[in-house]
Amino acid sequence: MSVETKLPLETDVVTKQMDDIHPVSRYFLFLGKDSVKRNFMWLPLAGMIICIILGIFHPQKHPLPYEQYIPGSWAIWGFVAYSLIVLSANTLFKLLGRDESYYGEGGLPDPDYSTDPMVTGEAHHE
Amino acid sequence: MNEFFLITEHFSILKQINPGFWVILAGLICTLLPIGHARKAFVIAAPIFAGLLIFQLYDVNSTEHLGGVLQFGPVELTTLRIDELSVVWGYLFCLAGVINGIFALHEKCRITDSSALVYTGAAIAGVLAGDMVTLFVMWELTAISSVFLIWKGGDHAYAAGIRYLAIHVLSGVMLLAGAVLHAQANGGDFMFNDIGLDSPGGWLMLLAMGIKVGFPGLHMWMQDAYPKASITGTVILASFTTKFAVYALARGFAGADILIWIGAIMTCFPVFFAVVENDLRRVLAFSLNNQLGFMVCGIGIGTSLALNGVVGQVFVHVIFKGLLFMSIGAVMYRTGTAKASELGGLFRSMPFTTVACLIGAGSIAAFPMLAAFVTKAMILAAAVEEHLYIPFLMMLFASAGVMEHSGIKVPHFTFFAHDSGRRVKEAPWNMLLAMGIASFLCFYLAWPWGGYQNLYALMPYPMEYAYKPYTWDHVVFQMQLLFAAIFAFTLLKRFKLYPAERRAEILDADWMYRRMGLNVAIWGSAMWDRLSVHTSRIRTRTLSNVGRRLYQTFSPAGAASEATPSGLAAVLTAGLLFVVLMLGYFAR
Repeated sequence: MSVETKLPLETDVVTKQMDDIHPVSRYFLFLGKDSVKRNFMWLPLAGMIICIILGIFHPQKHPLPYEQYIPGSWAIWGFVAYSLIVLSANTLFKLLGRDESYYGEGGLPDPDYSTDPMVTGEAHHE
Repeated sequence: MNEFFLITEHFSILKQINPGFWVILAGLICTLLPIGHARKAFVIAAPIFAGLLIFQLYDVNSTEHLGGVLQFGPVELTTLRIDELSVVWGYLFCLAGVINGIFALHEKCRITDSSALVYTGAAIAGVLAGDMVTLFVMWELTAISSVFLIWKGGDHAYAAGIRYLAIHVLSGVMLLAGAVLHAQANGGDFMFNDIGLDSPGGWLMLLAMGIKVGFPGLHMWMQDAYPKASITGTVILASFTTKFAVYALARGFAGADILIWIGAIMTCFPVFFAVVENDLRRVLAFSLNNQLGFMVCGIGIGTSLALNGVVGQVFVHVIFKGLLFMSIGAVMYRTGTAKASELGGLFRSMPFTTVACLIGAGSIAAFPMLAAFVTKAMILAAAVEEHLYIPFLMMLFASAGVMEHSGIKVPHFTFFAHDSGRRVKEAPWNMLLAMGIASFLCFYLAWPWGGYQNLYALMPYPMEYAYKPYTWDHVVFQMQLLFAAIFAFTLLKRFKLYPAERRAEILDADWMYRRMGLNVAIWGSAMWDRLSVHTSRIRTRTLSNVGRRLYQTFSPAGAASEATPSGLAAVLTAGLLFVVLMLGYFAR
């Protein structure tokens, strides 16, 4: 007697995956595409350039002493501040990061439930 | 509505009782009420009732409404004062109580319902208190009632709750001590008005308020306790305690220069901790700390523009920070975690929660048309007006930091980024409703055509001119900052310079008492034990020696029992008589 194994069709898998998605979210699935993520950076860049140009024509009414000589001063400040904060993260983590059980008060992830890569040993899937 | 106002006219006692007391009473009734739906009715109705009472009692034409005057010996207490400053906090706390109540409708828990009501009522009663003793009582009651919300977070929240309670009770004790010293220096007047820093009492009170508002180094109770509380507990906690303290600072220390620098530092340091933190509720707690910095700085600047900015910022902050905590709470409710390393891609499952979180993120980052755009700008403009350029630049730096942790990190790692593969249900209807109301208010309070003007109408201090937020230069320069920050984020992500989320315990100022302090206490205890053993041994040996000597002397076989020659006895007697004679001689 032979047992016939029926493999799921590819369309069934796609349908199943789509069933898990919220109906409203189906219109926004493009946000998860690699190409969208990759090219998203042009949007803030364009916005920033436009605002810098507009800033030349609409200067601040009460600028700081140095600001009137530097077009896009807030953009520069924002970019530098943001980068500094993020780039300091690794050093800070080395200095201040300890194991989660450091204080021994519990609250650790449940290995049966967690999807954390450090707990499951598997990388997040895109 | 009119019937309600007629009732208050007829029952003049309602004019004498602090509206917050009714909410506290509702909370106490809830502790005995076994029917969940009835409790929920109380949770929603009590803050609405208190809000209507405040509305009825506050007369915009008179400066203040005083009531509930009690005399305890020489001390006169004014338990109710509604004026142009306290009324804003009164309305705000009632509104927050209602939104929080809706958010918690799904939770069938008597402890949460009753402690949330008592906590909300204590906060309302505290800001409407006219004297410092009532303020102190409500100060402590907010701590005692809210700790149950932390303990509802589970076993791992127990120690954090104890620490929270200890720190806040200490803050209350310092407040009372400061109040007594201050009143003593002012002829026994306990009214809570401008305190100033001229007396030791003033400094003690500032320190007490500094603990509750999260001054640098005194802030860690917030990041310790808030992320460990229950889901609804964190939302409720984030609304009241710190804003109560901001009110107290605005009332007592407006224009104190030291607050400018404390506030400016407060805006900056949490952004560095938030960027390395994995627990998103703790990230939001750091973000809360950072936003409080803007308020403290504004209080320090002390001009009408700055103080109105603070009032506005407090109002919108309660709403958008509540919204952010609610959205992460909804995620936690569905997924069981708030760790960034375990989340991602949830916009596929929770689209409405995603939108709510993005509105909260946009509001806190001060995007045009969203809440903080108007109010934060008032504080920044006040700093420039007063030529406080360094604090201004620090706050601008912190604004980029806000964009990082709350504007980008929280929504990105929760709803976008890598797909964690979790497919969950959208948040329950009541959570969506609460988030919907808060989202609407985020838009409304910054709406250029009749929105922010209503917020202005609540502002207590007269201004020479109404600050105009929607000017070309303000919109353009704010957008420069925000676009530049987003561009920096995308660039750092592209070049893989943005740090991955990692599970870890990030050390902060609480290490001083949780690790070093604990170790010192353990070492001290061990030393005390050893000292006790040594002391005990020395005591035993000494007593033993004394006993042996006494036995050797006075026992039947001892030296005192031995027969002695009568000649020796005569010499001893003569010697004793000589001593008595000399004593008698010199005594005269």
